[in-house]
Order: sequence, then C-alpha cells, then structure tokens
Amino acid sequence: MEYLYGIVIIVGLYVVLATSFNLIIGYGGLVSIAHPVFFALGAYASALLSRDVGIPVLLAMIAGMLVAVVASIAMALPSLRVSGDYLLIASIGFQLGVLEVIKNLRFTGGPGGFTNIPPFLIRDFGRESYVVLVLAVTLAVILLVRWIARSDYGRAMSAMRDDELAFASVGRDAMWMKIAIFGLGSGLAGLAGALYAHYFRFIAPEQFEILQSAAILTMVVVGGLRTTWGPVVGALLLQALPQALTFLQLPPSVLGPIQGLLFTGLVLVFMFFRPQGLVAAEDVWRGASSRVRKTGEAT
Amino acid sequence: MSEFSRGTRRVARGVACIAAGLILASSAFAQDTFRFGLAMPLTGSQALYGQDQVKAAEWAVAEINKAGGVNGKKLEMIVLDTQADPQLGIQTANRLVSVEKVPAFVTAWSAVVKAVAPIANDNRVVELSVGANSPDIAKLGDYVYTTFPLADVDIAAVAKYAATNMSKKKAAIVYINNETGSVAAEVYKKVFTAAGGQIVANETYDPKATDFTGPLLKVRAANPDIIHLQGLVSDTPQVIAQMRQLGLTQPITSYSAAFNPKLIQQLGAAAEGVIATSLAPGAEDSEKVKAYVARWQKDVGREPNGLPYTQYLYDAPYMVAAVFKSLDDKKLPITGESFRKEMLAMRTFDLPLTGKTALGEDHTVVKAVYLMEVKDGKWTRKAVVGE
Amino acid sequence: MLDTTIILQILWTSLATSSYYVLFAVAFALVLKVTRLFNFAQAAIMTVAFYTAFVAVQWLHWPAWAAFIAMMSTTLAASYGLERIGFEALRKRGVSVMFVFVFTFMVSEFVAYLAMLIFGTWPQTIFPGIFWPVTLVGNIAISAWDLPAIGVTVASLGALLAFTRFTRIGQFMVGVADNPDLAELYGINKRQIFLVVMLIAGAFVGLGMFLYGMRAQVLPQTGLSLMIFAVAATIIGGIGNIAGAAIAAIILGVIQNASILVISSEWQGFLLYIFLFLAIVFFPNGLRLPQRRSRFGTATRERAAEQGRSAAESKA
Repeated sequence: MEYLYGIVIIVGLYVVLATSFNLIIGYGGLVSIAHPVFFALGAYASALLSRDVGIPVLLAMIAGMLVAVVASIAMALPSLRVSGDYLLIASIGFQLGVLEVIKNLRFTGGPGGFTNIPPFLIRDFGRESYVVLVLAVTLAVILLVRWIARSDYGRAMSAMRDDELAFASVGRDAMWMKIAIFGLGSGLAGLAGALYAHYFRFIAPEQFEILQSAAILTMVVVGGLRTTWGPVVGALLLQALPQALTFLQLPPSVLGPIQGLLFTGLVLVFMFFRPQGLVAAEDVWRGASSRVRKTGEAT
Repeated sequence: MSEFSRGTRRVARGVACIAAGLILASSAFAQDTFRFGLAMPLTGSQALYGQDQVKAAEWAVAEINKAGGVNGKKLEMIVLDTQADPQLGIQTANRLVSVEKVPAFVTAWSAVVKAVAPIANDNRVVELSVGANSPDIAKLGDYVYTTFPLADVDIAAVAKYAATNMSKKKAAIVYINNETGSVAAEVYKKVFTAAGGQIVANETYDPKATDFTGPLLKVRAANPDIIHLQGLVSDTPQVIAQMRQLGLTQPITSYSAAFNPKLIQQLGAAAEGVIATSLAPGAEDSEKVKAYVARWQKDVGREPNGLPYTQYLYDAPYMVAAVFKSLDDKKLPITGESFRKEMLAMRTFDLPLTGKTALGEDHTVVKAVYLMEVKDGKWTRKAVVGE
Repeated sequence: MLDTTIILQILWTSLATSSYYVLFAVAFALVLKVTRLFNFAQAAIMTVAFYTAFVAVQWLHWPAWAAFIAMMSTTLAASYGLERIGFEALRKRGVSVMFVFVFTFMVSEFVAYLAMLIFGTWPQTIFPGIFWPVTLVGNIAISAWDLPAIGVTVASLGALLAFTRFTRIGQFMVGVADNPDLAELYGINKRQIFLVVMLIAGAFVGLGMFLYGMRAQVLPQTGLSLMIFAVAATIIGGIGNIAGAAIAAIILGVIQNASILVISSEWQGFLLYIFLFLAIVFFPNGLRLPQRRSRFGTATRERAAEQGRSAAESKA
C-alpha cells in the first residue's frame, strides 16, 4: 500500500508542477525553464525551517511557498522590465545559479542532500492522510488555475498574450500582470516542493536539475497547453510510461536512454503534428502575426 | 446433547487441530525460499557500475544455491532498478518493503541510501548499504547498516600513510566540489594535521570543469610535498594530466576512483607513481579473488568496472544467507526486526572476497585499506594499512 | 599569491582555452543575429561533431585529418538538416519564440539521449590519450595544444570578417541580419542566406568541438553545458554584436579562471550566473532583442517615416 501511496503522491505533485507551469508558460505566455528551482526553494526552505529552526511543519510549508514567490518575483522583475524574451535567459541563469548556491552552502547539506526532514501528519494520522492532503491540494490547484483562466483576469492574460502593444494602449500594465502570474505559478511549485520534502524526507540538489525542466515542459506540451486537463494528462502519462516500459523486457543499458528518447521524441512529434497537445486548446503556438492572419481581424 | 454424534465431533476437532497447526506453520516458517531485495542502478549514468555489481551479486546467489542454499532452501534475490536516483530509489524500496515484503535489502549510492532510510526505519526492514561511502550513512537510523567502509576509513589511512610512512610534511588537497570530495578533504586535513603534517593548499574544482589551471596553480605556489586528489573516475585522469603539464611533479595520492586500468591507459607514462586506495583484497592476496577476476575475464571478457565494489556485492548475499541460516536454525520468524537482531548478535562475518567484516556499534565497519601504486604501467600493491 | 608567474600562467591558459568558447559563442551569436533565432539546437550539432570525430578515430582508426573531414561533413550535414527541415518548417508556420525554444531544446536533449544510447555514459576524448607535450617559456607552461587552438580561432574569425566584408553573400548576410523582409524586397534570397549562416555556424561548432575534444572529456550532455557559456557570452557581449560575443567569451573565460586568486574555488562556477544576471539588469538598453512580432524592422519603419516626412515637407 505504501508503494501505491508514494506513486500517487508523486503523480499528484507532478500534476501541480505541470499545472502551475501551464499557468506561466501557457496562459501567461512567459518562457521560462526555472520551474524546478522554485520546487527546490519551497522544499529546502520548508525543510530548513522545520528541522533546524524548529518552526512547526505547517507554517514552514507556507513559509517555503512564500520564499518561492519572493524569489520568483526577484528574478522576474529585472528581466521583465526589459522584455519577455529576456526572462528565458534569466531563468536559465537563475535555475543553474541557485542550484550552485545550494550545492556550495553547508547548511543546506551541500551536494549530499538534506536528510531527516521532519514528517508531517504521518505519525499522527497515518500515510493515508498525507495522500488525501496532496490530492486535495492538487485538485485545488487545478481548479484555481482553471478559475483564473476563465475569469476576467484570464481574458486580460489572453489579450496580453496576443498583442502586448494593443494591451498597453488600452491602459493595462502587462509587466505587473506577468510578474503576478509568474509569482503565483512559482509559489505553487514551491508548495509542491514543501509537500514533497515532508513526505519523502530527503532532498538533494540533483533532483531539481534542468532535466526536470524538460520533463515538466514535456508534460505540458504533450498534454496540451492552456487547457485545464492537459497538464494532468501529461503528468499521468509521463509517470505511467516509464513503468509500462519496464514490462517490455529491454536490456537495461538500453532502457534508460530509450525513455529519454521517447519523451523528447514525443514532444518533437507532438509539436510538429499536434501542437495543441493531447487535450486541445485553440491556437496554442501561433505567434501573433499568424493569428491575425488566421482570423482576419485584429485582436 | 447436540445433534452431532461423538464421532463427528472428534473428527471435527481433529480437523480443527490440523488446520490450526497448518496455519501456525505457514505464518512463521512457510519459507521454501529466503527472499531479500537488491536495489541498484541498472540503467542511467551509473549503470556502468551498477550492472557489474548486480552481476557479482547474482553469481553469489547462484553459488549459494548450488551449494544447497540456506538449510536446503533457496535463496532468492529480488533485483530492482534505482538509476541511482533518490526518487526512484524510494519507489523501489517501497516496492520491496510493501509488495515483496522482504526483511532486508541491499542498496548503494549515497543519495539513494539516504533517501530510502526513512522507509527502512519506519517499516523496520534492514537496509544494507554496500558501496556508498558518505559518513552520513552511519547516522541514518536503527535499521541502516553499511558493510562497506565509509569515507573516513580509506582517506584517513592514506593521509596517515603519507605523513608517517612517506614522511611528507606539507600536503595539498585538490577535490571535486561534491559530497565525495568535500567530505574526503575534511577527513584528510584532520588526519594529516593530527599526524604532524601541514595542509598548504585546499582547492576545489567544479564537477563540470574541464580546465583546472586555477586551482592547480594555487597548489603549485604552495609547494607541497604530496598532493591528494579526490575526484571522480571521469575527471581524475584529466586533473592528473594537467597537474603534470603545469609542472607539478609531486607524488599524487587518490582514492578508489583512481584505481582502475583506464587511468593508466589515458595517462600513459604520466600515471607512474600514482597511489590509490582499494578497500578490498586483490588477486594477489587471495585465491578466491584471483578465481573471481579470472571468471570475469572468461565469462565477460574484461575486468569488472569498480572491481572492489563488485567484491563487496558478491559478499553481500553470503552475509544475508548467513543471517537467514541462523534465524532458520533457531526457528525464529523471518521479519525485519528479527533479521536485525540476529545480524547484530552475529556481529562478525567471514566473507569470501572481502574477508572479515565486523559490524560496529556505530553502524560502520572498519576494514584494511590496500594502497596500490602504478609501477611500470601496472597497478601493484604498495602497502596494507589497518589489518 | 599574486606571483607574476601565476598570473601570467592563468592568463595564458585561459586565453588558450577560451578559443573553443569563442567559436561556440560566435556561432550562436551569428545565428541569432541573422536568423533571429535562439539556436539551442547548437548543442545537438556539438554532440554530433564530437561523436563523429570520436568514432572516426577510436572505432574506425582513421588518421586525424580524415577524422576532421568526417566530422566537418556530418556537422555541416546536420546544420543543413536543422535549417532546411527544422527551422524552415517553423518559419512557415510563423511560430512563437517559445515554440522555437522548446523545439531546439528538445532536439538537443534528443540527440544527447541518442548519444547515450549509442556511446554509453563514460566520458570520452577524441584521441585515446589527453597528454599534450609542454614547453616551459620562462616559468610558464605552454602546452602544444595552446598555440594551434588560438591560431585556429583567430583564423576562423578573420575568415568570417573577410567573408562579410568582401564577398557578396557575406554582405547579403549583413543585409538580412538588419532587415530580412526588406532585404528580400531587394532581391536577396533569404532562404539561401539562412542556410549559409547555419553552415558557417556549423563549421565553427565543428572546429570548436574538435579542439575541445582533443583536450577534455566529453559526455553526451556536455553540449548543453558548453552552450550556457555561449549564451551568456552572447548576451553579455550584446545581442547582434558578434565581435562583442567573441570578446565576452574571452573575458568570461579569463575571469572565471583568474577568480581563483580572489575567491574560494567552490564559487567559481557561480560567477557565470552572476555575470549573466548583472548583464540583464544593467545592460538592457541598446540590447534590443529582434522584434519578431512586428512585420517591418525598426529601421524600415523609421526610414519610411522619414521618407513620408520629407515628402510632406517638400510638398508643403
């Protein structure tokens, strides 16, 4: 049973990661690869505060989430001030740089990782309670992102995405909207990190590397950008496929790279033949100019 | 009186007794096989070592079963892939504990060992770390033990040897900026200075670096008598090459990562004099090891990757089998708790390829360290420390 | 610590090792300038380049020159494929920055996994030995690899400069870099120019990887790691400024190595990211990213506005 709980929790957390990333990259139109680093910041902050500072776990988790929010805004602010494209470069630097810092500092456990993270809920209410917690958070995040996308705010985001110039000309501030979206999405990633830390109770920098960015990106792209259930499908697929592959009895030296080839190949194939993903939204990848051309009217 | 005749009642009672007996028997000792787990990287970047180590363990299990198994019953090893990834390690450990319900399992790679420790402790299943050397492992909990000496053992040995036997007064440490490197640097510094020496340079390099000019120049300026290098198998040859090219002619010591034939192949003459540690006896020390290496040559056509580690993994099933046998002899139930108690009660194991192993109170083991040196293009034994 | 010998040695070695960084940075910057694409698939080309050379030397036992030719052939072929099959299709669809990024990133990952499958994960060098003979000049160790590396890089940069200044195609390239649509109106074949640029970048990448692989070890993921440096140098040097990218690559390389004298060695790797961040925060002006959304280049717009203004004035 514990085996299943572990899997359910991990899948749930990945759904949260994919959904929050969808908010940033799909709805917000912000290109960034820095999602895993906020996952890490939430995890490390929560772990540090609860183990070494003695703060109760629940508060530490919330603090972890806030750390992720603040860090993401600190990163986004200078880059978005210039342009959205700069965010990409900044995110690469931030993702790699922060991990370097974590690896070099003593109190984070360095490259060896952070052990003996205090558990949450498990001792008092059993592992089932944690599963319920994660599933509840996952559902809440999905609904939250869905609600945002469908609200007036979501419409504003869509307008901003399509034609920033027009958006600015009607008096809306694109930059602060982008920062808000980025902060929220990253904060949710931080929350996922905190939830991870207090169940599995061990975190190491190697778990938050750029390869995770590729995985999350795959989930969102293959699942379907800018849809509610796309990232969920993507996350489930990405977790289920490796398990399925193990039944194919392939020689071990071949299995590892084949999984990687499968995922990256999947993304490439999907981008070429079904760019909207498994669960389709309209006009997911089109740049602004082609969108105008398509509909024949200015947005 | 009841409707049933006396006879029926007697039969019913008899059946009940037999049934009860069967149930009792099955609950504790319905062991036709003794099962334990092995969680290693079969795929991924560490598969190079993981696969060879699994092979060694599989050979051992086959040998044990060929010789009659454990008290006539089969020894079964359940092998799962961790990819040396902590998250996957957790999943395999959960599977071994909750689904396969083994009383003990063997695993390696420090990150995995640490990640699955909570699972072992919470479920009272014995986790045997075989090959990982992070000193943290000693403090991971009641159910985590290592049969492989942790980092302080071999680094301490080589540091002391340099200070006392080689009479070196000034040492420089060059290490890779990860856990292996930084822990070893600290141990070396502590032991070398305690033995009366002085650390004149303590430089690190980034795991992704390919140019080490900066740190090496600082070392050169400090003018040490000996240099200790703690890198990975992949960068050690390069660091040594650049050391020599920058005019550093001092003797170089390293740890087991340097002890592999590829080092000599890549460095050629520049490898002469390099000293590395090995934590397992070599072919020249034991007939069994000689036969083992010969078997690798014959069956696989090459030496195993990380020979000493594979020796430890060959021995692990023997140790597990010994504990199982003891439990079976004493007719004790096979659970994680009883496994641990029995293992600690037995304490010392005489293992085929690595010799005597004594489990310490502090969850560590202390073994002899073999110092190997490159002489005339081959690895030869220089000394044995701590036998 | 501040011994002259040490400083000179560090300067020399970092100068020499920055040679391949310069080649990678220039390749990336060139593609960015002319095609306005962030070509993260360059890592894939780098991987192809290295492993071709590796196979030629270590599996097929070809001499070095043959391996070089083989490597250049596959690299140029890969660049050709990337441009014609990949980028052209993307251009036709009018895709966004994000699409290009994800696409090129995934291509590099794909090739890395392919390399992992075929070659395993053990680090490799092109030649079995990595030891280069060293001569001592004064007290400075100069490896036999250093001078040829620097020479090759300088020669390549010189060739590129001559190409853009003295050949027709080179000048067309400059035109396309400034304003592709306008250049097309003047009869320049945009498609051809894009291909030429990708091939030149491919050549630079091939040279760079050959130099690198003769001296250091390569893993399937090394391409992506080296790319970070190239991207940083391009940003810091100024987008659209090829010479800037080259100079930035050298300076970054030297500073990264020389920093050991001032800071503790474990923070060396972190420096790069600090520089990147500082560049983004302090140099945003004058580093305008190519305006993908607008249909006409800024220059054209301004020129058109000017023409209109002067026409209106002359009428008045």
